Amino acid sequence: MKRSSIAILLAAAVSAGILSCLEPGPASESSQAPLELATPPTGGDFTLDSAAGPVRLSDLHGQVVLIYFGYTACPDICPTNLVSIANALRSLHPAELDRTRVLFVSVDPERDDPEHLARYVAYFHPNVLGLTGTPEQLAQVAKRYGAAYQRVENTGSAMGYLIDHSAFTAVVDPDGRLVQTLGHASPPETIRAAIRTALGTKP
Amino acid sequence: MHAIRTLFAGVLLSSASLTLSAAGLEVGDPYVRAVPPGQSNSAAFMSLRNISTEEHALIGAESPAAETVELHTHVEEDGLMRMRRVGRIVLPAGETTTLAPGGLHVMLIGLKSELTPGQNVELTLIQDDGERLVIQAPVRRLEPMHHAAH
Repeated sequence: MKRSSIAILLAAAVSAGILSCLEPGPASESSQAPLELATPPTGGDFTLDSAAGPVRLSDLHGQVVLIYFGYTACPDICPTNLVSIANALRSLHPAELDRTRVLFVSVDPERDDPEHLARYVAYFHPNVLGLTGTPEQLAQVAKRYGAAYQRVENTGSAMGYLIDHSAFTAVVDPDGRLVQTLGHASPPETIRAAIRTALGTKP
Repeated sequence: MHAIRTLFAGVLLSSASLTLSAAGLEVGDPYVRAVPPGQSNSAAFMSLRNISTEEHALIGAESPAAETVELHTHVEEDGLMRMRRVGRIVLPAGETTTLAPGGLHVMLIGLKSELTPGQNVELTLIQDDGERLVIQAPVRRLEPMHHAAH
């Protein structure tokens, strides 16, 4: 009896997950992540810390910037997206790659200092920069980009606290405008097409 | 004794990709995800086919490669990916339960050394009937995911 009720709970949880995946986004664009915000995210300029010093989004003017919010202790969701992004980067022409940057923003500044982040992101692709900041800075940037995250204590896991987080990738065009969001586990081809659209090159 | 058993499992695996427990649990294509340097956690994935006529469950796992091993799942809720520890993974009779990226996984916490692709990680799968199944899961670099829901 206990087993079957757990199974039912699991099944309910799984179907809830599937339903939320299938729900159309606000712009009926299937690749858009569902955002739990009253107002759509506006994007905008920000400055966060990297191992090489502060990075300001507007300093990357002229390039397409992909922004992903996550944390390095995340064993599955974040690496899945970073590998997909890295594979998309590897499939770009050199001239396109020169104009594409990825910002991995850690929402776990307690465990991820900029040096640790730099080692982590280098594993995926040299065009990925690891950024973080104070909890206040991170909250502000995440809000602007529609990213949500929540620290969960008492998880019953040896990992200690966990961070629930949205898993989409924000696409910022060369003029610094937030133009698209790509859902969790978007395949490299979808990411590459979004980069090319934002660059204005042939998709 | 333990070493001999491990060696034996390794020899068995080199000739077949499936491992079968006494209770009728078949483990298919187990692997551990290679992780970036300095990363202290990883996850193991596999398919678990219960070829018996009774429901079973995985209630835990152990590995010499990590300080702690737990069973975890992911649930997507309100646009958030929530990873949670689970006490057991139910394996219905006659069905295959898949541990895959984005869902159920065996969580390796506090890796004792860096994982090198190609290296084998020993995992002991503990079933609810007390049986302990030792398997070898090779370390694999991540591959992009293409799952049907997207």
